[in-house]
Amino acid sequence: MKAKGAFLPDIVAFCCAQSAYQAADTAGSMRITYPENIRVIRVPCAGRVDVLHILRAFEKGADGVLVLGCHEEACRHLSGNIRAKNRVQRVNTLLQEVGIDGKRVEMFTLAPNQGSRFARIANEVNERIKELGPSPVKSGA
Amino acid sequence: MDNGLKLGVFLCDCGGTLSKVTDFSAIKAKLQKLSDVTYVGISHDLCLKRAQQAMQKDIKDKGINRVVVAACSPELHENDFMNVVQSAGVNRHLLSMANIREQCFWAHPDKGKAAKKAMTQIGMAINRARFLEPVEQTQISVNKDVLVIGGGITGIQAAIELSNLNLKTTLVEKEATLGGKLNRFANLYPVQVSPEEVLATKLKQVAESQNIYVLTSAELIDVSGEVGNFSARIKRGNGEFVRNFGAIIFATGYTTQFSSQIYGLELSNNIITQSQLEEMLKSSSEVKQIPKSVCFVTDISDEHSRVSPLSALRNALGIKEKFRGEVCVLCQNLKVDGAGLEKLYRDCRNKGVLFIKFDNSPRISKQDGKIKIEVEDVLMSGEQVTLPCDLLVVEETSVPPLDSKVLGSTLYMGLDAQGFYQENNVHLYPTASNREGIFFAGNCHADLDLMQALTDASNVALSAYQLLAQGKIAVEAEKVMVDPNKCRFCLTCIRACPHHAIQEAKVNHEKMVAQIADLACQGCGICAVVCPAKAIKPKDWSDEQILAEFELLGEYV
Ligand SMILES: Cc1cc2nc3c(=O)[nH]c(=O)nc-3n(C[C@H](O)[C@H](O)[C@H](O)COP(=O)(O)OP(=O)(O)OC[C@H]3O[C@@H](n4cnc5c(N)ncnc54)[C@H](O)[C@@H]3O)c2cc1C
Ligand code: SF4
Ligand code: SF4
Repeated sequence: MKAKGAFLPDIVAFCCAQSAYQAADTAGSMRITYPENIRVIRVPCAGRVDVLHILRAFEKGADGVLVLGCHEEACRHLSGNIRAKNRVQRVNTLLQEVGIDGKRVEMFTLAPNQGSRFARIANEVNERIKELGPSPVKSGA
Repeated sequence: MDNGLKLGVFLCDCGGTLSKVTDFSAIKAKLQKLSDVTYVGISHDLCLKRAQQAMQKDIKDKGINRVVVAACSPELHENDFMNVVQSAGVNRHLLSMANIREQCFWAHPDKGKAAKKAMTQIGMAINRARFLEPVEQTQISVNKDVLVIGGGITGIQAAIELSNLNLKTTLVEKEATLGGKLNRFANLYPVQVSPEEVLATKLKQVAESQNIYVLTSAELIDVSGEVGNFSARIKRGNGEFVRNFGAIIFATGYTTQFSSQIYGLELSNNIITQSQLEEMLKSSSEVKQIPKSVCFVTDISDEHSRVSPLSALRNALGIKEKFRGEVCVLCQNLKVDGAGLEKLYRDCRNKGVLFIKFDNSPRISKQDGKIKIEVEDVLMSGEQVTLPCDLLVVEETSVPPLDSKVLGSTLYMGLDAQGFYQENNVHLYPTASNREGIFFAGNCHADLDLMQALTDASNVALSAYQLLAQGKIAVEAEKVMVDPNKCRFCLTCIRACPHHAIQEAKVNHEKMVAQIADLACQGCGICAVVCPAKAIKPKDWSDEQILAEFELLGEYV
């Protein structure tokens, strides 16, 4: 067993190509750093992220999942970000029901130029997941 | 096992800069050991032509059929790399990218950690590459005619610009004359010429154009089809007819509305709205009783409006010049954010217009037919001021024309909270609607003054021109596709598609299914998620591709 301090969570971040993905690029361009264990997966819209994708990420060993989309009213596909928010809430409940802390999945909204917001979210979520420890799905596997 | 995959990985160290922080040959050595990886190359400037020619040659020579590029963000050069892949004879969609610059070496100063992350990113891109699917490019021929709805100044200008670009335009106006709101104003700030002159010049251009077909007293009933081939049903008098267009521009403007609730007042002969005052000023020679003292109240109802303080200032000055009485403007936060507005404000002050700033709305009452206004003047430390006046001018809110809601819903267009047309994304695509080929311009979607409305009209004309000028549009055939065998025709996707890109269709003369119109689809993937039968596949963002990126969780390559 690794000591708690050494636990490096695996965090999957689904990033909308219209906003959050570009925010991550902005962070890099401004040399703003954030935990390297955040794995960005580019999606065309937060609305492309399926409950199934999030659950599968946990199954494959993720300790936390982020869905990052456009600010409300700024979604190119009108309702994509709202759909994503609802799905994240659904996963929260689903996880809770099987005894996994629902806080392991979160949704945030960003604009493409918000590099520092991206880094802040990544940092905060990383700390929260570290607190929660490794995902029970993972240790059971 | 031979699965036929021949992966080529092209690494770029960005002019040698990334080689300073990591050992590219070590990355290459690791990648070469992975299954199906046929070739790994290191370049210093993949964004430049020479390196791209070499890349093209490598793809051809080594028989590569899936390309992975590990370099800067796909937001920058993905399309260029797709072109290279295509020029090498491989389908342009068989490319997957790892963003090792912005999202790795630039973000993570710890060299060891960054090197590990880069390997993972490339590994994820390789896994994704295994599930890529080709998408064929085709061309669809389009109707080059444009329909402009609304013959205000915006619609007129858009039609003129389109006509100059040699596109035929039909201008549909529901009133009997063109010109919209400009017909009502005596003057416009900061435009030097009168609204009448502005209109006269433009209308002359319209009349002289061979390309503009004007339909007044006409209305749009509904629209079917999609971008490039819309057919519009138009009503005129008792008749109805259908015409085909490649694109549609909405320039339906705004109407104004007075809210007696907000003011706690009813309009009367000495309490009038800005619009009524405009009419009065326009025919000022007919005014019998000249008001000696006039008060304007602005910023009570509509905190966001730009044109409302503009018209208050312009008319305050107009009254001062025409009737020479006392003029007072009561305001909360006068916004002077348009061109020349600061000057207008100063001109008002110089001519003797009095400004009173309030935090709490003024109390307005009527006494013996005269109006009494009581207000605490913020700039006088809240001192109570009482103003009698002959004429009180109240502001109105701009609201969309009454039929916007109906038109919006028959055409599946998004409306914002106030009911104005909602742009697709106000920052990225300021004149695009949520539907491909339908645009907005002028005051039907934003609070614009005349000059801004004219600029908007030019922008929208260019957008329509870019879309239609070639007479054909390149399209990715079935980039998002419904499997007709799986579709149960539940209509969920049709309702969910934000761009109204999915229609009903009949296959093999019997079964009804959902079918995606390639030109109208914007590839968001929402339909794929909502479909209960999992019948829809976005080929660039399939479940398999997304799930393949998780394969490496918990381990580093
Ligand atoms: C109170 C006020 C004061 C202003 N003062 C100034 C100023 O001083 N200086 C300045 O530069 N700007 C000013 N403006 C802004 C200016 O009025 C607008 O920029 C300009 O009129 C916008 O023109 P438009 O063509 O977009 O809209 P409109 O002028 O409203 O024209 C829209 C046209 O579309 C028609 N229409 C609507 N619905 C349909 C339909 N369904 N089918 C067919 N036709 C339809 C309407 O009949 C109308 O003719 C002011 C605005 C307001 C509200
Ligand atoms: S949601 Fe799926 S099953 Fe329903 S109509 Fe659309 S494609 Fe067919
Ligand atoms: S991907 Fe589906 S939901 Fe999105 S625009 Fe295309 S058809 Fe509509």
